Amino acid sequence: METYEAVLEALGDRTRRQIVHRLRAGPSSVGELAAALPVSRPAVSQHLTVLRRSGLVRYEELGTRNVYRLDPAGLSELRAWLDGFWDAALDRYAERVRGAQPPGG
Amino acid sequence: MPAHLTSVEPVRKSVTVPAAPQRAFELFTAHIQEWWPLATHSVGGSQAVGVAFGEGVGAAITEILADGTTSVWGTITDWEPPHRVAFTWHAGTPEAEATRVEVTFTAAGPASTVVRLVHSGWERRPDGAIVRDGYQAGWDPVVASFVAAAGTAG
Repeated sequence: METYEAVLEALGDRTRRQIVHRLRAGPSSVGELAAALPVSRPAVSQHLTVLRRSGLVRYEELGTRNVYRLDPAGLSELRAWLDGFWDAALDRYAERVRGAQPPGG
Repeated sequence: MPAHLTSVEPVRKSVTVPAAPQRAFELFTAHIQEWWPLATHSVGGSQAVGVAFGEGVGAAITEILADGTTSVWGTITDWEPPHRVAFTWHAGTPEAEATRVEVTFTAAGPASTVVRLVHSGWERRPDGAIVRDGYQAGWDPVVASFVAAAGTAG
């Protein structure tokens, strides 16, 4: 289920946001993430599961290592949201301009 | 990979409004508080009470919170009324991670203006370097935007 809502929910947790920031630097294993963050390895695994279901990260084998990395699919959801961000703002702007029209003008 | 590269292309929007460029420009900038959807588009969410658009290069776009504090969203880099305004955009993030927004106002008739908005700069990183994996770029500002929206999501 790679929906925008799932992405929002996934990023609604500070630890998961920290994991995302860590993965920006490159793929990491569960162990590496757990070592870098103040949470247990099982907790990291649970967070990664949520992130994976949201489409933000994916799991893959890199050589002999099992690692997680950011997935463009999740970013696409956020990009779509950003599109909506400006659409909504400009809609309001256009409404304001129309409202500013003098009568008959 | 193409999918990665396309994901960092600028966001482009346009809208045609029934006003001359001068009026369209003034409403977009000086009168931003009259239309900006603060409830959903702010750092403070329900605590946001206003937004002010400065005038001239170096002036800021600032969100005003209920407790009197402010949050700077960006700084004006180009000020060419009534044709063009550009500003950095770092709502909720460090200024070093700012993206860039440019808005142009083009007359399309006696009382009609095409307003084009381009939000770019996703390749920018804290160190200013261009990233190799394009899709990772822009993550911070987008996440920050999410955080801003999440404040009112409930």
